Amino acid sequence: MILLQLIINGLLLGGIYALISIGLTLIFGVVRVINFAHGELLMLSMYITYFSYTLLGLNPYLSLLIGIPLMFLVGMAIDQLIVRPLREAPAYMQVFATVGLSIVLLNLALFLFSGDYQSIHLAFAEKTLHFGILTLSYAKLIIFFSSILVSIVLYFLLRYTSMGKQIRAIAQDRMAAKLVGINLNRIYMLTFGIGTALVGIAGALILPVYYVFPSVGVYFVLTAFVVVVLGGMGNMVGALLGGFIIGITDSLSGYYIAPSLKEVIAFIIFLIVLLIRPSGLMGIVGAEEMGMK
Amino acid sequence: MVADKLKAAGQPRIYCPLIALVFLFLPLVLTQNAFYLSLYFMVFMFAGLSGAWNIIGGFGGQLSLGHSSFYGLGSYTCSLLFVKYGVPPLLGLLACTGLSVILAFIIGYPCFRLKGPFFTLATIAIGEVLLLLAVYFRGLTAGSEGLSIPFRPSVLNLCFNSKRPYAVEAFCFMLFALVVSIWVKKSRLGYQLVALRDEDQAAESLGVNTSRAKMMGLIISGGLTALGGGIFAQYVLFLEPHSEFSLTASINLALTSMVGGLGTIIGPAIGSFLLVPIQEFLRVWLGGSFQGLYFVIYGALLILVVMFLPRGILDFFSGPYHTLLARLPVFGGPSRSDELGRPFASSARLGRVEAIGQPEPLPIIEAESLSKRFGGLQAVTDLSFSVNPGEIFGIIGPNGAGKTTLFNMLSGVYRQDSGNVKFKGKNLAGIRKSHLVCRLGIGRTFQLVKPFENITVLENVMVGAFCRQPKRSEASKSAPKILDFVGMLDKKNALGNTLTLADKKRLELARALATEPEVLLLDEVMAGLTSYEIGEAVELIKKIRNHGITVLVVEHVMQAIMSLSDRVMVLAEGRKIMEGSPFEVSRDPRVIEAYLGDGYEAA
Repeated sequence: MILLQLIINGLLLGGIYALISIGLTLIFGVVRVINFAHGELLMLSMYITYFSYTLLGLNPYLSLLIGIPLMFLVGMAIDQLIVRPLREAPAYMQVFATVGLSIVLLNLALFLFSGDYQSIHLAFAEKTLHFGILTLSYAKLIIFFSSILVSIVLYFLLRYTSMGKQIRAIAQDRMAAKLVGINLNRIYMLTFGIGTALVGIAGALILPVYYVFPSVGVYFVLTAFVVVVLGGMGNMVGALLGGFIIGITDSLSGYYIAPSLKEVIAFIIFLIVLLIRPSGLMGIVGAEEMGMK
Repeated sequence: MVADKLKAAGQPRIYCPLIALVFLFLPLVLTQNAFYLSLYFMVFMFAGLSGAWNIIGGFGGQLSLGHSSFYGLGSYTCSLLFVKYGVPPLLGLLACTGLSVILAFIIGYPCFRLKGPFFTLATIAIGEVLLLLAVYFRGLTAGSEGLSIPFRPSVLNLCFNSKRPYAVEAFCFMLFALVVSIWVKKSRLGYQLVALRDEDQAAESLGVNTSRAKMMGLIISGGLTALGGGIFAQYVLFLEPHSEFSLTASINLALTSMVGGLGTIIGPAIGSFLLVPIQEFLRVWLGGSFQGLYFVIYGALLILVVMFLPRGILDFFSGPYHTLLARLPVFGGPSRSDELGRPFASSARLGRVEAIGQPEPLPIIEAESLSKRFGGLQAVTDLSFSVNPGEIFGIIGPNGAGKTTLFNMLSGVYRQDSGNVKFKGKNLAGIRKSHLVCRLGIGRTFQLVKPFENITVLENVMVGAFCRQPKRSEASKSAPKILDFVGMLDKKNALGNTLTLADKKRLELARALATEPEVLLLDEVMAGLTSYEIGEAVELIKKIRNHGITVLVVEHVMQAIMSLSDRVMVLAEGRKIMEGSPFEVSRDPRVIEAYLGDGYEAA
């Protein structure tokens, strides 16, 4: 029974990882940039939610109405100001730039908000649902279902809208997309915006169950990297699946091995994936050895 | 030999850096101020550490953001051996480097076969894992409480009573890192690292085992870093996982190299001379409350440097510095000018085949029913052909006929789904890596030119020459001969990215020739050239064949391939339509149909 509870906990936790990773993998798949500041963007959205709760008295779930557009704009600004000038530069230059951004955001938060752990208390979020001896937290259930909902919405967005089709075209072949008249820069900007808005959703949803502090992003983003690689870089279904797998692994290894070593286990999985199937669960086999377009 | 070395010391490019080093060393002896001495220590240590990072990160372009894992491994190994087992740190340093080799394998083996950001991600992750392990195994490392190292001054313990010996020690560490950097940069490994940084696939096709080169780079880089960690620990005398395995420190090493000049020898040192004092002074002046603000500036600096100064501040100074060098006197008479050896044509070993015109030549390349499919696209279907030694074998066909795919299978880039390729009777099926195929004697060029952009034409060719000659002195002798052969000797000092398209294509040819191939695969070397340049290229290819090299040419320029080839094979939609002399091919209705479509003849 404890095992079942652990697996459920893992699935709920996995929802969080999935939600964070989907944005990361979307940006990677289309813009071909690993956004090392992704964790700090999570932190930013958690602070936005935190302050709209403490200062404006907005419920975190309502604050999404502010948070999503705001994070969307932030993402587009990052793309235009930092990534765009480096589009043609070697990949390591882009990594440097996003690492720089991550340092700026993290320390700006440290300077402005201090390193203290902050949290909000929602009566609702602390409620739990009981099934026999299983316990489920409402807030985590919301995260779990949101991650699935977000994936479905994103899927339909990419599948059926004109913008979605353009995004997928670029992800497949930049050059061909350009030749058929797709405005690459515009789509990159929008994709960066969407990816950032997704992590914005994640930030707002996890605030009721987690503390916020300036380096909270570092913790989540490392796991998100593992999830993204496990799922297949650039693959959104993979990120969802990878999120749940890592969530369950975390939950099990936290209980059976040691809580402080669960990241070590995640990293061992990461190495095994690289050794056996570097394209990840859902990626195209061989793509990473050829260097993707 | 010794006389030569002494003579070299009279060169401005040798004695200027030596003078600079002496000036760097002088303050260590002159100052009494403990603050400055510890500042020197920090500056020199950092110069050495980022120099170490630069070997894999700069030369090889493999961005590590987890070098603190090597650093922390070094500091903990060295200190734990001392604290728990009484092994003097000076000896412990050996263990540091040994363990760092193992760590380099753990990181490098899974990652270096792959392209893309995997290595960077893995380095960050392993830094984090070592941090967690160091916190978790409290019994060994004392965990988050930290490990204190007893203060027992002695040279063997790398522990001293005053700051001055520490500063001298750090100076020596920096010197060591510089010497290693110079050694790597001038060796075959250095050339290979720079080549694979610029164009991975091209390097591989020139016989560079890129995975191995990256691994060697990481081992050397990580070993040096671990050494630095071991030394640094005996200065601080206190270890704590979060400071030893800090991500910030890893980023710092990368930033320092970047600011100074990524991939240069003294760039990291320059970056350190600039950044460490700023960092230390700001820390003293701003105090603890502004720590966050300081790092905000630091991160912003990183972004700005990447955007506006990607070549580092060294780029500003290298011009004036070289002008200065040119004006300074040379002592001890001029050194030997690097003249060309004998002219190339007579005796040079271009290819390794002498067997032209044997009575009945065995085919040098034999392909049997090759097929390759990409997802839903059948690129090549059941293709068989053979090529005789010393032949020029043309391959033509409309776009998408499978020509480049065929070359990629022949050169080991792709593995065929079915079928067989034999090279001199030997089956190539088990050989999938293109550097191995190159070593066997099949060279190639790429349809989209891939010169190594940031090194000179001569160095480009040397990368190829290293395929057969491990020593730099030999490679640097044979490369100019190849350049002379292709008629590019006058451009030997131009950078790869400054060439015209025609010259880039010619350079690709020269590079491939330098690997001493028996078979050369030329993928559209004439596309985009003017008719005059095409004429030159045709002559050059004939000249290459006259040296006994078998040439396979994929080309769209019809008049060139018809005048050049002994036999022509025509592909369409992955299948062979026909094969024959240029004359036969040009008259064949099937060929005309494949090119111009059905019904053309009737019209």
